[in-house]
Amino acid sequence: MKERPLSRAELTAIVACLALALAVHLGSLPHWVTATVAVCAAIRLLLAYRGRAAPPRAARLAIAALAIALLFVQFRTFNGLSAGTALLALMAGLKLLETETRRDIHVITLVIFYLCVAALLQANSFWLLAYLIAVCWLTSAVLLRLTSAEPKPDWGRSLRHSGRILAQAVPLAVVFWLFFPRFGGPLWQMPDDGGSAESGLSDSMSPGDINQLALSDDIAFRVQFATAAPPAQELYWRGPVMHDFDGHTWTPVHPAILSAPALQPEGPEYRYTLKLEPHRHNWIFALDWPSHWDLPHGALTSDYTLVQPDRVSQPIDVAATSHTHVQAAAPLSAVWRRRDTAPPAGNPRTAELAHTLRAAHPDDLDYVRAVLALFTRQPFYYTLTPPKLADSSVDEFLFTTRRGFCGHYASAFAALMRAAGIPARVVTGYQGGTFNRFADYWIVRQSDAHAWNEVWIDGSGWLRVDPTSAIDPSRVDRGLNDAVNADDRLASRWQRRTVWFPDVRLRLDALRELWRERILLFDQDSQQHVLEWLNIPEPDGQKLALVLTVALCLVLSWLTWEVRREADPVRKESLVRAYARLCAKLAAGGVARRVHEGPEDYARRVAAQRPDLGPAVTALCRQYSRLRYAGAGAESTVRQFAAAVRAFRPRLKPPGSRAS
Amino acid sequence: MTRIRAWAARRHGLDSLPMTIHRRRVYILPTRFGLLLAAVLVAMLIAGLNYNSNLGLAFAFLMASAALVTMHHCNRNLLGIEVDAATEVDAFAGREADFEFMLRNASSVDRRDVEIRCLTSTGIRSVLARSSDPVTVAVPVAERGILRIAQFELRTRYPFGWFHAWTYVQGALTAYVAPAPHGSRALPAAAGLGAAPRAESSGDEEFAGLRAYQPGMPLKHMAWKVLARGAEPAVRSYTGSSAQPEWLEWSSLEGLAAETRLSQLCSWVVESDAAQRVFGLRIPGVEIQPDRGAAHRIACLRALAAYGAPSP
Repeated sequence: MKERPLSRAELTAIVACLALALAVHLGSLPHWVTATVAVCAAIRLLLAYRGRAAPPRAARLAIAALAIALLFVQFRTFNGLSAGTALLALMAGLKLLETETRRDIHVITLVIFYLCVAALLQANSFWLLAYLIAVCWLTSAVLLRLTSAEPKPDWGRSLRHSGRILAQAVPLAVVFWLFFPRFGGPLWQMPDDGGSAESGLSDSMSPGDINQLALSDDIAFRVQFATAAPPAQELYWRGPVMHDFDGHTWTPVHPAILSAPALQPEGPEYRYTLKLEPHRHNWIFALDWPSHWDLPHGALTSDYTLVQPDRVSQPIDVAATSHTHVQAAAPLSAVWRRRDTAPPAGNPRTAELAHTLRAAHPDDLDYVRAVLALFTRQPFYYTLTPPKLADSSVDEFLFTTRRGFCGHYASAFAALMRAAGIPARVVTGYQGGTFNRFADYWIVRQSDAHAWNEVWIDGSGWLRVDPTSAIDPSRVDRGLNDAVNADDRLASRWQRRTVWFPDVRLRLDALRELWRERILLFDQDSQQHVLEWLNIPEPDGQKLALVLTVALCLVLSWLTWEVRREADPVRKESLVRAYARLCAKLAAGGVARRVHEGPEDYARRVAAQRPDLGPAVTALCRQYSRLRYAGAGAESTVRQFAAAVRAFRPRLKPPGSRAS
Repeated sequence: MTRIRAWAARRHGLDSLPMTIHRRRVYILPTRFGLLLAAVLVAMLIAGLNYNSNLGLAFAFLMASAALVTMHHCNRNLLGIEVDAATEVDAFAGREADFEFMLRNASSVDRRDVEIRCLTSTGIRSVLARSSDPVTVAVPVAERGILRIAQFELRTRYPFGWFHAWTYVQGALTAYVAPAPHGSRALPAAAGLGAAPRAESSGDEEFAGLRAYQPGMPLKHMAWKVLARGAEPAVRSYTGSSAQPEWLEWSSLEGLAAETRLSQLCSWVVESDAAQRVFGLRIPGVEIQPDRGAAHRIACLRALAAYGAPSP
């Protein structure tokens, strides 16, 4: 086939599709890649609108070589999601430069399709999927126009036809989705290139860190209790535990030690399922204190934080059991005692305060209470926008600013404990959550992020102390949001103050949870459930393949029938068919319509020859000519006419003929 | 490819035109673009499985399903089309034979991108719902003779160019390729065998047009005004009911090669026809009685095209 040059419209359309597909990658693409693609597109479009051809080959090759070299310098590899996506984007941009024929556009559409998948690999959003399907729809409409001969369909028709094809693809896609065999894990390990940023808590804590999270409405995880839920003030979701303080930042033990000292559980047992959103860390926020968990490679660290070897990069469900009250079964080892009593360097006034208080309260628990009372009595404020602290952060906070967030209080509390020789550590995680009464689960958001302390009390073990609650007790009961200052400027907050909004929000979240459960977490087990639901005994891989084949055959046969049907010649309108039936009946009755006869003339002749049929036929013929010639008849009246014709049963001979 | 064509010819036998395309004779294969898409789909699937991404997989499944649906639509784009063709066309060697086809689409869907292919030439067009459209395929013809095309092809890549559906139609198309009309000899004077020379003009002659001046033509008929405009010298030619039929004779071109003679004769036929003169043609084995008009012209040109060819 002769290749004809592309029109400007075609070129512009494909550039638009590429831009839409690249838009979702903007966050992860290096800026210079985005810029290069944009410049290439602009140059090509400009040349097209000036009516000139693509730039010379040598220039294109030079640009391509330079860009790909730069990319390699930046990523050191072309493997992995970020590097691969950047390479694809760059190639599409450079391809635009040399786009002259349909074939070049074909390559670009394939890149667009692949960019769509690349965007979805680490995403979970329904809206992103919907958006990318829309992009793919547009792209296919461009292809359709490109393939059509003159006269070309307009954009509306192109979109309609490609939309029809996508819609007809849905049943097939559902079959693939349900029965295509899944593997539990990756086929091979891809380099973990941090294609998407970590979210939620980080693995270190500086006082003031968490306030960034406090502004985020993103969901950290959802929890569904199989037993009764513990009281809200006991909902502490345990994350990384910090031991070492350099005066500014708290850090955990690294690498984690995977041997948790034994615990003696007390009180009721809570069983629940934790539905974790990917946060790209390897810890899992179990309820304090976890004892059992259903996680293939899960383990407790020496700090009782639940971890797994791989980072959580896809949503996962973890069934776990916890007790909110425990006793230590073994004393604290000397190593840990030394580590957890190391006082913060360079905070002399804190040490002095600790010594004064310790002298008055020799008992450990008394001392803890005294420090908490200090926070309550002294003018300590709780704010999301605390003043910046210098190096002697604890001194400055305790004696000068006295304004802070949970991180500040946890940090200061631990420092005061350690200065008095009581082992103390900082625990980060989430506290509380919102109960969704429409779907019976708890929602824990990033804004529920929290930091608290644990102190070692000889004889009973680690005791949880939440110094922030000493400042503002309501915070622990009602969550962070209410503690946020009233002059909060975030736009999303107004919604929470309106009465109806929380309900809508919870209902929406219930929908989101359904999406997560049914779509994002669909796996081998779910496939087994589907087979069981289909009453297939002992489902296994082979049966799955069989079901896939059978279902595909069924859907494809339907599709064949559905598509082929369109190729049939148009059948006569139902009105014309009904009239033909009437004429046939009358012909059987001895009065055949003559070819030249219109309905009125025919009725008149029938009335003359068969007076017994006259009135009925005259009425029917008049109805027909009205429907046929007096403007478009409504579908229902056409159907009435057809029904009347069906009901019309003329006698084959006039009534008197037998006698004569 | 030729083997496939031969197989299809055996399978379908000879078709009578007009013919409606039945599904049993539509073949389909992926194009190069379709194969590339398949590779990309496999890559999508692997990426989805490898990253354990259900959304990635969902998208890959949707695209793969869309490709399968597209296959059906591509096939459907040819089904039920009624194709008719002008089975005999005329052409001159060195130019193109314009085969005229008529595509009728009685269904309620548009058939975009229907391509007709004869030998290596194609004509392409969209046939909208409930309409008929003509398609012309211009087949270049280099040599004089009778070109018989036993089979032509209807093809489509609609909707996305991922598949290529086609069907073979075994309909005999014939192009009568007359020789390229050229030659330097002047038209023989209107003096056939036994015709007496007569006066150059008589009262009932009608002016019939201009023709190029050749040495030896009567100056009386010279179109001086045309010459004065700076154009090529021309003479007025006349025709009339009393005009003596002129015979274009093979034998009057002694000493020339056969093809050259045919070209010369062809040139005369074209010229005489353009001047609406009554003429006859005599070549070995064929004698066409003097006449004029389009049918006569075609008969003469076909006789020239068929010279030396075994009669069908």
